[in-house]
Amino acid sequence: MKCLLLANESAEVLFYWTDTEFEQRVQEQYGVSQEEGERLPAFEDSINTLFAPIIISCSTMVDRLGDNYTSFSTENNHIYVLHQFEECLYIAVNGDGDETEEDLKRKIFVMKKLTEIMFGMVTFSGALLRKELRPQDTEQRNRLWKKLRSLLETYSRLRENDQSFLVEAVERLIHPTLCEQCIEFLERRLVQQINSNMDRMGEEVLHAFILVHTKLLAFYSSRNASNLYSSDLLALIILVQDLYPSKINLDETSEMAEDSLQTLEAPTPDPSAPSRVFLESKECPMPHSMYCLPLWPGITLVLLTKIPNSHVATSVCYFLEAFVKLEKRLCEGHEGAAAMRGQPSVQEQRSRLEKLIKTWAGMDIQVSGQQNFKNKAFSRSGSGFTRDLLPSCRNMKTQLCGVYRQFFAAECMGSSQRLAPHLQERALSMVQEKLMDWKDFLLVKSKRNITMEFPGLIHFIYVDRSNGQMIAPSLNVTDRTVSELGKGPLADFIKKKVWSLVATAQRYLQKGYATLTLRDGDYFYCYFLWFENETGYKLEVIDIPSSPDDGAPVGMLTCDYYRKLLRYYSKKHQNEVVKCYELFTVHLGVIPNEYILQHCSQLARKLWEPTRIPLL
Amino acid sequence: MAETAALAYSRRFFFLYDSSKVQEEEDRTREGIYYFSPEDTPVDQQELLCGQLAGVCRCVSEMSSSPVRLLRLRKSKYAVRMKDSFLWALSCVVDIPDVSVCDLLDQLIALFCFYNGPVRQSYQLYSKEDLALRWARYLCHLQGGSTELHNIFSCVRTIDSTHIDPLLLLKAALILQACQRCPLVLAGCILYRGRVVSTQMTPALTMKVMVYETQTYSQDFRVTANGLSSSVGSPSSFTATTQVFLTPTELYMLRCHPVDRACRSHCSQPPCQPSKSRFLSRTLSDTPTTDTDSSSLDCPPVSYQTMPSSPRSSLSDEPYFSPIPSRVNTPLHSNLMNQSEYFTPDSHDHGTLNGTNLCAVKESLAGLNIKQDTDASSGSETKSEGLNSDQDTQSDEIKALANGYEQSNCLDNHSDHDNQIQNEENKLDANNHVANKNGKFQGETEEEARTKSKQVEGRLKEKYEPRNTPSPHETLADTSLVPSVLYQHRVRGLVLALLVEPEFNTDPTAREEVHHSSMASLNGLEAHLRNTSPGTPGPPGPYTFAHYDCIQNTLTTNVCGRSAGPQEAFVRATKLLHSHFSHLDTLQEAIVRLGSAVYGTRSMAQETYFLQQGTPVRNSGSPDPQDSAFSLPRKARQRLLKHGVNLL
Repeated sequence: MKCLLLANESAEVLFYWTDTEFEQRVQEQYGVSQEEGERLPAFEDSINTLFAPIIISCSTMVDRLGDNYTSFSTENNHIYVLHQFEECLYIAVNGDGDETEEDLKRKIFVMKKLTEIMFGMVTFSGALLRKELRPQDTEQRNRLWKKLRSLLETYSRLRENDQSFLVEAVERLIHPTLCEQCIEFLERRLVQQINSNMDRMGEEVLHAFILVHTKLLAFYSSRNASNLYSSDLLALIILVQDLYPSKINLDETSEMAEDSLQTLEAPTPDPSAPSRVFLESKECPMPHSMYCLPLWPGITLVLLTKIPNSHVATSVCYFLEAFVKLEKRLCEGHEGAAAMRGQPSVQEQRSRLEKLIKTWAGMDIQVSGQQNFKNKAFSRSGSGFTRDLLPSCRNMKTQLCGVYRQFFAAECMGSSQRLAPHLQERALSMVQEKLMDWKDFLLVKSKRNITMEFPGLIHFIYVDRSNGQMIAPSLNVTDRTVSELGKGPLADFIKKKVWSLVATAQRYLQKGYATLTLRDGDYFYCYFLWFENETGYKLEVIDIPSSPDDGAPVGMLTCDYYRKLLRYYSKKHQNEVVKCYELFTVHLGVIPNEYILQHCSQLARKLWEPTRIPLL
Repeated sequence: MAETAALAYSRRFFFLYDSSKVQEEEDRTREGIYYFSPEDTPVDQQELLCGQLAGVCRCVSEMSSSPVRLLRLRKSKYAVRMKDSFLWALSCVVDIPDVSVCDLLDQLIALFCFYNGPVRQSYQLYSKEDLALRWARYLCHLQGGSTELHNIFSCVRTIDSTHIDPLLLLKAALILQACQRCPLVLAGCILYRGRVVSTQMTPALTMKVMVYETQTYSQDFRVTANGLSSSVGSPSSFTATTQVFLTPTELYMLRCHPVDRACRSHCSQPPCQPSKSRFLSRTLSDTPTTDTDSSSLDCPPVSYQTMPSSPRSSLSDEPYFSPIPSRVNTPLHSNLMNQSEYFTPDSHDHGTLNGTNLCAVKESLAGLNIKQDTDASSGSETKSEGLNSDQDTQSDEIKALANGYEQSNCLDNHSDHDNQIQNEENKLDANNHVANKNGKFQGETEEEARTKSKQVEGRLKEKYEPRNTPSPHETLADTSLVPSVLYQHRVRGLVLALLVEPEFNTDPTAREEVHHSSMASLNGLEAHLRNTSPGTPGPPGPYTFAHYDCIQNTLTTNVCGRSAGPQEAFVRATKLLHSHFSHLDTLQEAIVRLGSAVYGTRSMAQETYFLQQGTPVRNSGSPDPQDSAFSLPRKARQRLLKHGVNLL
């Protein structure tokens, strides 16, 4: 019994997802009519009625006590997790014991991440996000919600079955030679060819990568591309898996298969149309077009292109940030010059803004309310930088987000903006040709990526958090092929144990504990997190700060905990490049502790090498 | 607005809210607030919290068809209990384990019901103000643990046995056993200055009894707010009784306690060795007796006649002894009748008028005591005396009646009676059907059975199911509480507290017997304990540890007072690990490190936490067999032996 709901402060449902069990329960409780055609809006209404008291109480708590609910649990172990992002409230419910409070929180943060990937900076404005998530047109809304639901289900499936989504790090296929060849091919042949072609419609391929199921075979970034963060790469893999679900996961359960079939039934209306994705950069979420080209079932080529006018995003972002800062300082009670402290001079910003607005006007994009702001803030008769400026400051924020939306939202771009279909086809066939002899090998390799022989060692996961990559033996309990652990109940049992070990380790890490060993039943579990410099020299341990309970869960997909951790550690080691590693192991409990620790240390040494494979 | 509210909001809250009082639009939320702590919280804030929390809890519990148990906010969290229209909520800071705060709330509710009976009824009988005082007292008692760890484990405070002559503990145990020779005595405990010396009760019951002890210890016993029915002797030594309420399980556990009733008072033979379950007792003498004393077999079962209010008998004899059926009221069947009748002023008259229904008389007397006391705002002592003399004259009559009735009943058919008892017990506990009938095997099998059921219980323990209170639902269910009496004999700092059958109040012989049999020993014990130096705590040692006994609910630790530095780190890790252990039954041991490493290990019976002090050797945190953190289990085993903690 599961549900995820997004609502705004006026208790309006912006999006919801439920499983059939939850839906049935609500219908039973509310006796919702199940008439054909009427079903959907009626159910939406009952969902709305059901959650409205909670949503309203949330706003009351925030307004009057400056606190908010984060979770409820009931005697029959139903869990409700709540999280407020700006004006948007997320509620996740589980009533079947499949998910913990942490899982639900993570789901909420992943949902947030997915909306950011899809809508970029538009998510900064509650009013615009509402428009985006809840289009007036019912059909359009149904289409969008279907897409979001499908993404959420894809994520849940990956989280449940794929180790790289368990630890939130990308898994690479370990085959250095082939990897290197592919990178070279992508660089010299593919990207170069596309980027020099006239039919690219002003787009430029920045990143290209090949996925075998969820595993990365090769990744190439062009020289003028900014870094693609692991959190984004993971989110993109969710998008790819949503478009082309791996067969591995298809024969999961009948329910899963059904879900995936639905996706298959309704393929994207236009196969050569790219998806608009907003990727993190140093400045702001930058719009990109993503092209997913299926080479063979399970093997996909992904191209990320820079779109025309994307530089506008940077300037919108610059001002948006300025207004956000100003709003914050005004809210805190700073007025006059103090309100603008820490920012370039007022006059400078003012002239920059005016210049920009003029440019936009030339592109037929209007920014209303700017005059109002200017009058209030700068004119003699106006109040200057006081609290009175807050409403127009907020209005400016919305306006800027609006500009951003007008420039970059997928539907605003027009359907003609894309790499010419023949160019896409050409790219596809080039890579197909290149990998033809390897394809079967790759599909097998993706299921038996690494084996490791240590007596008594049941499983391990090794993660390099600096580049967001992981290595682990396969645990394909549902797959027909036999993994290292075989299949059946034992493999399933071990899988559960591994999943709970990672969850536990993350919970402790959130509190600052970087070393953990557990003796649980017949097994012994270890978790280590440590730092090294580039040469592999192990750096001294530090006290990791404890994160608040209501903060983002530990991971990469959600707010990239490890990036922050690395930044924190690097402050103390400013002269060297700092790397961060994690090792999770499961041993038989009968193995003496000293052997277990020896294994772990040998394992860490051995696994250090494969992560050195160059990516670029 | 938000800031000022937030400031006051960082406090710990507890409230009891009755949503049935706020039904209509015009009803003000404050009507539903029965108690709110801290009491000086502005009313509008009280209303805000109660209104909002009650609202969302109701919404959530309707959606999930189950009451809310825990509600988390960003800055605090609330343990919640919902029953009928009542909602209890107790807040704490976020880093207290869920299991601890839920336990604490359940204990609080259980405490209230122990002394006041069912909640709804209490609020019909007493004013909100009176009961507010009590809530405040219980809250204060429960939160007054000497260290944060005591609150986390919500354990019973015991005297430091390492500084006490073991013979004194033995003596205390013997005093309790001697008291049990009186058949009306169910179980007892001996407390010294707010700490347990010896107890025969479950930790949960002991904890409840201790509130009364601390209360009378700290206040002038003449001002009674809680049904102190009588007091005799000088201030340094006096006895008192008060009405309390037991859950059926508690009562059953007390009654089925395998003390050989046959050997109780009026039985001239030497007392049999009561083979009590080790799990229920802290007395030293409770090591399981392997040789079943033959005397237990020899004792004729006549003493069943004095077995308090054998429920079946009163039921079967109903037509003869009870002209008013509703007065048929025995502890076990009290749920059949409206309990508020205990408290109706006229019940006393009825009881004496009829004079035939033994139980009704006795219980209504008990009820009267309470009434009398609440009326007595001043000069309670004289009133109490008056009441006592009144009782004395009546009780002779009652005793005569009782004897006559009981003799006639038991002389004829012992076996029948036994069966009745057995049936009764079968009804209460299907798993544990070994009754008192077969004296020979009883001790052993019962012990086995209880050990087993205890283990099963432990395994089945739900995530949030409290570990100290037997069943919150039982306490919450208004109808199931059974009135009983708590007898207390104080000698300066020493208190003998006994849970006795209600008839004890009206049985001067029993009272006298208990009083006299224990008086001298208590005086002696008190003198010894008083002269025992508290013992200078040895050097704290280069380590920090905490050992929690889950069965006896006690904590041994060298963490003292306000924890700082390594101790703070230790407490932090302990909280996390305790929470982890409580969620995962199969977890046996763990080492966690943040700066310094803490080792935690647990079994069915205990949880132990250990931290080695001193600057940790430089390490990287990467897997390293030389890492000193992994030698903690060995060190803990060695170091803790001298504290009586055996981790082997």
